[in-house]
Amino acid sequence: MELSEKGGIQNNGFVQNEDFEDKEMATSSQEEMPKTCSVDVEPVAVEETVLKPYAGMPKEVLLQFSSQARYRVTREILFWLVIAGAVVLVCATIAIIALSPRCLDWWQASPIYQIYPRSFRDSNMDGNGDLKGIQEKLDHITYLNIKTIWITSFFKSPLKDLGYGAEDFYDIDPIFGSMTDFENLIAAIHDKGLKVIMDLIPNHTSDKHRWFQLSRNRTGKYTDYYIWQDCRQAAGSVIPPNNWVSVFGNSSWEFDDVRKQCYFHQFGKEQPDLNFRNAAVQQEIHESITAYSQLYHDYTTTQVGLHDIVRGFRHTMDEFSREPGRYRFMGSDDDEKEDIEATMMYYGTTFIQEADFPFNFNLINMKNLSGNSVSEAVNSWMQNMPAGKWPNWAVGSPNAARISTRIGKEYINVMNMLLLTLPGTPVTYYGEEIGMENIASENATLPEKSPMQWDGKANAGFTEGNSSWLPVNSDYQSVNVEVQSAWSNSSLGLYRALTVLRNEELPLNRGWLCHVWNDSDVFVYVRELDGMDRVFMMVLNFGQEATTDLQARVPNLPSEAVVRLSTHFSNAGKVVNTKLIKTEMGEGLVLQYKTAKPVHTMEAFQGKCFVAEKACYSKALNLLYVNC
Amino acid sequence: MGEESLKRRKGEDKGREDRQSIQSHEPQTMNLQKQVGLISGICMIVGTIIGSGIFVSPKSVLANVEAVGPCLTIWAACGVLATLGALCFAELGTMITKSGGEYPYLMEAFGPIPAFLFSWTSLLVTKPSSFAIICLSFAEYASAPFYPGCDPPQAVIKCLAAAAIVVITIVNSLSVKLASYLQNFLTAAKMIIVTIIIVSGIVLLAQGKTDNFKDSFKGSKISVSSISLAFYNGLWAYDGCLTAFNWFTLSLNLPLSIIIGIPLVTVCYVLINVSYFTVMTSTELLQSQAVAVTFGDRVLYPASWIVPLFVVFSTLGSANGTCFTAGRLVYVAGREGHVLKILSYISVKHLTPAPAIIFYGAIAIIYVIPGDINSLINYFSFAVWIFYGLTVLALIVMRFTRKELERPIRVPIIIPVIVTLVSIVLVLAPIISAPELPYLYCTLFILSGLIVYALFVHLKFRWAQKISKPITMHLQMLLEVVPEEDVPE
Repeated sequence: MELSEKGGIQNNGFVQNEDFEDKEMATSSQEEMPKTCSVDVEPVAVEETVLKPYAGMPKEVLLQFSSQARYRVTREILFWLVIAGAVVLVCATIAIIALSPRCLDWWQASPIYQIYPRSFRDSNMDGNGDLKGIQEKLDHITYLNIKTIWITSFFKSPLKDLGYGAEDFYDIDPIFGSMTDFENLIAAIHDKGLKVIMDLIPNHTSDKHRWFQLSRNRTGKYTDYYIWQDCRQAAGSVIPPNNWVSVFGNSSWEFDDVRKQCYFHQFGKEQPDLNFRNAAVQQEIHESITAYSQLYHDYTTTQVGLHDIVRGFRHTMDEFSREPGRYRFMGSDDDEKEDIEATMMYYGTTFIQEADFPFNFNLINMKNLSGNSVSEAVNSWMQNMPAGKWPNWAVGSPNAARISTRIGKEYINVMNMLLLTLPGTPVTYYGEEIGMENIASENATLPEKSPMQWDGKANAGFTEGNSSWLPVNSDYQSVNVEVQSAWSNSSLGLYRALTVLRNEELPLNRGWLCHVWNDSDVFVYVRELDGMDRVFMMVLNFGQEATTDLQARVPNLPSEAVVRLSTHFSNAGKVVNTKLIKTEMGEGLVLQYKTAKPVHTMEAFQGKCFVAEKACYSKALNLLYVNC
Repeated sequence: MGEESLKRRKGEDKGREDRQSIQSHEPQTMNLQKQVGLISGICMIVGTIIGSGIFVSPKSVLANVEAVGPCLTIWAACGVLATLGALCFAELGTMITKSGGEYPYLMEAFGPIPAFLFSWTSLLVTKPSSFAIICLSFAEYASAPFYPGCDPPQAVIKCLAAAAIVVITIVNSLSVKLASYLQNFLTAAKMIIVTIIIVSGIVLLAQGKTDNFKDSFKGSKISVSSISLAFYNGLWAYDGCLTAFNWFTLSLNLPLSIIIGIPLVTVCYVLINVSYFTVMTSTELLQSQAVAVTFGDRVLYPASWIVPLFVVFSTLGSANGTCFTAGRLVYVAGREGHVLKILSYISVKHLTPAPAIIFYGAIAIIYVIPGDINSLINYFSFAVWIFYGLTVLALIVMRFTRKELERPIRVPIIIPVIVTLVSIVLVLAPIISAPELPYLYCTLFILSGLIVYALFVHLKFRWAQKISKPITMHLQMLLEVVPEEDVPE
């Protein structure tokens, strides 16, 4: 009631001091529709015919002329045009919204930067990297044009396997800092508009974990938290229940003196596997996911063997993904080296989602390097990936030798170029952007974990303390962030140019990938987007110096193309003849050309083209749409 | 049907048309106004002042002081300041009973030049840009749910904002009544969501969720600059005061509705913030893109969609309100001869200042086309506070120059002094903390009004009249608009 009365008040506010000749006005104000009006005020009584219209004429004069056809018709036309304009605007908005493709989520839009926290940056001079150190160096991530950080496991653990066996899922290892440090880090990361991914290793715990201690004493519900089997002990050696071997090659069963039984471990004997057939265990892990999801981050899970558990995780995380912009990403880290189909299972099906993607180790697991092997590694992922899913790529990880050691220093830049021009999410292991190399070490898992090389000062700027937990690579004087950022022809310069290109150019961001050619030296592919005549062609050399005739491979290829980027910086901007593309050993070229007939529409390339999250570009409106 | 029959029908209608409030100078209507004025006046003040900001970015205050306790204190203090400011306007409004925003007060106190500069700036920059900004943010909120995880394309935002401007302009030029019904509906929607947030916050508090209020002053960052910046941001939330005020220039209940209304708004603001803090830590609040939406997701889950919907309604309400009042400003300026006379004309059929509103809508659309919201806001904030400050200064000046005027309300002189000082701080604070070129451009633009004034208002160029007269005549015929008669003094 009061609200409707307010209407009257507003009316007052507007007209009260205008002091109308209210005698006529009040009547006409009842007529709100122009049509009725124009009938009502049909000029009948014409008292003074000598009147002429003039500027500032009063109502009496006006009404005698305003209904002349030339004004009335124009008025009506204009009125309906404006109405039509409003309708068109609304319809256009609805149409654009309806036709817009689903936008890339944060984990699709940006590369992921993987940090091994113990080696990234030490803030307290103890020689071990820590969470505060990561916080200090967040600007480096934004400098790389990356928006997602993946920090490998930093749960409280005895560090026997470098943090991979958690002692307590609810605490941070003191070496990395405190829970407060972690919360501050998360806040700082989010303040910069970045996202964070953390590891959760639900497969096993440390043997120091409280659960294991309680389980070996057969305490209550904890009795079956781990996988226990009777095993015979004969003559000082244990005869395991079966012949299963752990990933480290020895038996996966270990005899426990306290419980007088054997426990199962897929990894080291300090890392007993949790018994995921036990509902209480599943509950515990879900609770830890819940606890961390409340802190706002985004998971990767590793080494889980059971798909319903992954689905369960996804379900738990979906409950925390409801808020806009807060999607919880889940990657799965199952290294099914030989069995690509088993890996693809972790994508889930169209009905039940599992991981957003299982991490792709194809490029890391390549046995030898050549144009052929790289193209095979790429194709095997793209061909086996279920429809509608999103690919990802990595050329390094905490568990593989650095590129330079694995395949040669010459190929560092071309590998980065490959990584950042393939479709899907690239994962960069820290130090790859500056081309860090393995250090010499007896321990097989450590050489690729040497401290990040920040500058030319002592300990490469990793720590202000006297020593670091692993020695810094001796090449740090030339291979470090500070030197390379001053020098555009560096690995870092190229890396940044590539991430910028990737962010700016839609074809690289979400376009088609068409496999054009491979031989023992080069791997050639194009990235293109429907509706855009700009095409990017990558010619990457993974062998020896070679000359490739691309016109013979692609019909209708323009005879000239511009080198948009090259691993040899001086070549950028040059125009090359597509009949004779010369690449040196380890050189990579991003060629750009215009064509009306993109490769993915050609019959010859049917079956060699892949696209995820397909969208088409409209040049006129500068936007993407589906249904094309 | 001739003129006579029209008149006759009018006579018959008179009795039952008491809700037709056009005849405001009739004592009968004045009475009605007094009866309903207080409660609906309070509602309207609360509804107008509470913009969409409190749902989207109440974090700017928190960001400056970094702790819950000082944050709530500043919200309350801002409310006190806003009340003081409003009281000053109440004195001005009852002393000089003319509509048209700050314009008539500046005119009385400082003469035509500052008044012209005010019209010039607000007509061409501040009012249309604020209309454009509100419509753009409406478009952003409305399209955001369709683009989870990324920004909506510019084409969508611009189309939708332009559509909103066109629709609001049409509604406002077709009928005052329709516009005010729309306004009432949208205000009701806004009040509903405010109530929902406050009530659910109280319920949660009653359930004992008080963790975030422990040690609420701990970790706060208090310095002169942080506090003044926090005030700066906080006072923006009370920006609608003036808009609300302009609607009530003549209502005798005005001071009472202000004295009740603004503290009520303050209470609302503080309670809404309390509700946010019950479900979010200050870090979470700072990191939320749209605080009310996050609140809704956490508290109202199965029905959390109502929050963005109502935020959209409330933004649309602000846009409509802005258009409604700004239209009047344009026409007052037209009446004074500061812009083309035609802008002050009234639609014969609809009794709306249609030319002013159409002009206003057209400029706003021009602002929407190239504008990104932030650059518009940069223009906006600086100029607005200058004129707020000048207006309050006008009050002080008139205490000495216009002693003879009757002042139904008389505030202690210390209040306008405080408010003037605060607005000087608010003008200077952002410039000193982050000097940027837009401020210079804005100043230059305001001063460029002097040239226009000299050429067209002071000297009254002949040729300008020669062009404008036939245009005015034809536009009059086309839009069926006439000058209003007998401007009351």
